Amino acid sequence: MVKKYKLENAVLASPTSLFLLAILGFPVILSLTYGFSETSFETLRSPEFSGLQNFRDVTADKTFWQAAWFSLRFGTITAVLECALGLALAVYLAPLIQKHSWVVAILIIPMIVAPAMMGLMYRLILNEFAGPIPYYLYSWIGSSPAFLSPKNVFTTVILAETLQWTPFAFLLFLTAYQSIPQEIREAATVDGTRPWRLFWKIEFPLMLPTLFVAVFIRFIDGFRVFDNIYTLVGSGPGGSTTSMSIYIFETFLRRGEIGKSMAAAILLFVSAFVVLSVAQWLLRRASR
Amino acid sequence: MKLTAKLLGVTALSSLLTGAVHAEVTVLGWPGGPEETALRAAAEMYNARAEVADDDKVELLFTSRDGFFDKLQVDLAAGSTAFDANLLATYSIGKYAPFLEPIPLSDEAGAVFGDTVLKTMQFEGAQYGVPTDLSLHFLYYRTDLIDALMADDAAKAKYTEIAQEHLGEALAPKSPEDWSWLDFVANALYFSQSVNPDSPTRYGTVIQAKNLLFNMMVFHSWPRSYGADWMDADGNITVDSEAYRTALSMANKLFELGATPPDSTSYEYAEANAAYSSGQVAAMVQWNAAANDLTGAQPDTGTFAPPSGPEGRFTHIHGLGLGLNAAATNKDGAIAFLQWLSTEEAAIAYAKAGGAPGLASATAAKLADDRPDLVQSGDYASTYGFVMNGGTSANALSVYEAQAKEFTGFWAGTQDLDTALGNTTAAMTELLK
Amino acid sequence: MKRRIGPRWIVFIIAAFVMNFPVIATFATAFKGPREVNLNPSLWIEAPTLENFATVLTISDRLNVYDYLWNSLVAALIGAILPMIVAFPLAWPMVRRGYGRSILFPAIVNLRALPLIIFAIPIYLMYATVGLLDTRLGLGLILAIVNLPLTLMLLVNAIADLPLELEEAARMDGARTGRLLLRVVLPLCRPALITTFVFGFITAWNEFLFGLMLTTSDAVPMTVGASFFFATSGGGVQWGVAAAVMVIAALPPLLLGLIMYRRITGSMVAGAVKG
Repeated sequence: MVKKYKLENAVLASPTSLFLLAILGFPVILSLTYGFSETSFETLRSPEFSGLQNFRDVTADKTFWQAAWFSLRFGTITAVLECALGLALAVYLAPLIQKHSWVVAILIIPMIVAPAMMGLMYRLILNEFAGPIPYYLYSWIGSSPAFLSPKNVFTTVILAETLQWTPFAFLLFLTAYQSIPQEIREAATVDGTRPWRLFWKIEFPLMLPTLFVAVFIRFIDGFRVFDNIYTLVGSGPGGSTTSMSIYIFETFLRRGEIGKSMAAAILLFVSAFVVLSVAQWLLRRASR
Repeated sequence: MKLTAKLLGVTALSSLLTGAVHAEVTVLGWPGGPEETALRAAAEMYNARAEVADDDKVELLFTSRDGFFDKLQVDLAAGSTAFDANLLATYSIGKYAPFLEPIPLSDEAGAVFGDTVLKTMQFEGAQYGVPTDLSLHFLYYRTDLIDALMADDAAKAKYTEIAQEHLGEALAPKSPEDWSWLDFVANALYFSQSVNPDSPTRYGTVIQAKNLLFNMMVFHSWPRSYGADWMDADGNITVDSEAYRTALSMANKLFELGATPPDSTSYEYAEANAAYSSGQVAAMVQWNAAANDLTGAQPDTGTFAPPSGPEGRFTHIHGLGLGLNAAATNKDGAIAFLQWLSTEEAAIAYAKAGGAPGLASATAAKLADDRPDLVQSGDYASTYGFVMNGGTSANALSVYEAQAKEFTGFWAGTQDLDTALGNTTAAMTELLK
Repeated sequence: MKRRIGPRWIVFIIAAFVMNFPVIATFATAFKGPREVNLNPSLWIEAPTLENFATVLTISDRLNVYDYLWNSLVAALIGAILPMIVAFPLAWPMVRRGYGRSILFPAIVNLRALPLIIFAIPIYLMYATVGLLDTRLGLGLILAIVNLPLTLMLLVNAIADLPLELEEAARMDGARTGRLLLRVVLPLCRPALITTFVFGFITAWNEFLFGLMLTTSDAVPMTVGASFFFATSGGGVQWGVAAAVMVIAALPPLLLGLIMYRRITGSMVAGAVKG
């Protein structure tokens, strides 16, 4: 049975395989070569094999681990915040949306704006001298927190990311919530179950798979964050907002250590692969 | 009649063909500022010259400042033929030299620009570019605030009191032209509401301290006036010196005491200018290029060279220029244009159109009516200008990067001074060996 | 089931205002004159003007908004449609036969977690050789790679949601796989394809780094072109003009998103939920 389809599956997979091969085949081979070579911009065409040296350099680099730690924290916190907010909004606003569906359109605007531009927008609106937020804070309470100072910058980028991507989680939960069969709710209501209890005992468990997926997608996107942080504060005061992507980008372009940045990217890919495979395995077990 | 028609046909055909092989000279310039306007004017003038063949007409290419050097790096390294000549900066010549070719300048270039300025476009003794603009730093200060301070005895006493308390010296207010860095700091503290609640401005100064290499250039005049250098004559890295320690600690005091906006560890050029323009900052050190914007927003603005230190008064200088892409498709045409750009005629046209070339005094004198500011900046550059030892080496850009990361980390409070200087020394030893 | 709507309106208004604040502020800035931008940071516009938009739309010296918009449109269309064409036939055996679930699927989805910029140099070298540099097609192909992971994920989930009976019925009638895919599965996937397209188009339109690296003059996309406007006066940012250009740059994906919001809310997400 399995064998019978082997050829057919391969044929069906061929467009994707050929496309990937054509566009990424050469780049991947070259990147792997660079990852195991001493490479700079001058020696692009003649990389010199250096074994695992780049990997040793990367793992000995304190900044690499700081970047990994930043991305891990950033991804986790934003994923949790976005999902909590998104879930609350979706459940609370669902009756409103049932009557006026255009409400959704307004709430998803942030995720349609380019993250790079969102970063630039925040650069304007948080500016102490030209931005509306400090302006209002100064005129109402006479002072304003320094949003981008070393002390606050982490919170600021977390909030900026959360506010842009909560709509994504909100959309997921809204759909899951709306697809819960109305009969289940009605049955519960007839039994006299109160709304709060209805949510925790019946609706929430039904939305658990969605929660899992939402947290996962938002974690991945948070972990690899680049555009908005980069345009807002770059690598941050004292490198405090260096995410994994920013680390690789700066090692690559700014410091010209191509081999080292490729090694970091390879490590990232492999670890992401492992995490993703485990997550999928868990998901399949859970759904069984 | 027939002959004319034939000739026309041939001409049309040949122009079609030459058009197809991309014969003009493409020049990649520094986008978005007076440099662009000036280069446009110069190119127009050049293209109008009779001896310039159609195939050698100059076409300009301007992209974005955002990521400009990153993209240029990739373009050059990959052997791009999208442009024949491209922007150069003093600190990046060493990095780009492997992908460029040295160029011959016009005979009069030496007299027009002077040796100091020509040197900003040299690497290992070879001339890689024709200088177009010279960048240095000015001290910008609010004359109205200083005048008011000088006229008020109570305020003067307060100033001295603040200096005594925070700097351990009973300094009296002075004219900014006589400032040392200590006076600069005292003034910054006096005009900060966190130190002096009666201050007319919220902050005494603004230091753009985003982790960005250009911000290090603005800072460097400070340690230099205390005798700092990157390395000594034997090539030993000397960044961990009293000079750097003093300047870094003095600047840090401004961050600690709130004399520069608390956000300023995320500021670059635009934000720092916005702060000054808003009227909430009393004095700052900034690029000469900001002169128009800043005096436009605050008309009572005086400019002078940066403050002095025990070793004298200094301003970090670097030049912008244009060099020849080694992969250029029309090298001869590009060389002809660059050569013309190094003539007096071209330099004067460039300056009149708003550029800021570093000119020798004889040439600058011819522009005294149109561009008196060029006389001022040319004067500062030749009197106070410096380039760090190693500032044009292949890895100069990366050295500034490393310093930016470590020094801003110190000001941001994420590491102490010893760690910052230790890391900088290690990085620079690796980069400048 | 009586539920009060009033408080929900209030929550909605607060949420919409807070999440959209940067967009609202930028919108307001775009209508302020150059003098007002510096003096009045509030949301209130004292003297609304279209000056900034006029500036953006008429600077043709070197900044041509119409070209940028056209480049973005073409590249984003390629970047959104191509991955659907190649991924659709793969998604089906992945769902129905578990094909490639252990290696191929995670590998492709993983591309989403990777900063693709690490391929910038190799792709640049390759493009320079084959003449794709600074072309809309070249940019579109890369955007297609960027979109491939999400496209595949969405299609896999959409197909997993389809009832097996229809396919079985078609099999009974003797349909071969190609016919089955085109005549039965594809039409059923239409809602998912539309959402995938909307998402792919928005993502492709909003991409910045590859646009910056791989184009010089002929194929510059809108997001990169927008950054050209940030330094139109000696390095200082003209916030009014910058805001106007951001509004223009954000408009096409925004319109698409708003027109299609029913689609986005409906099917797509139903797909993503299954992971």
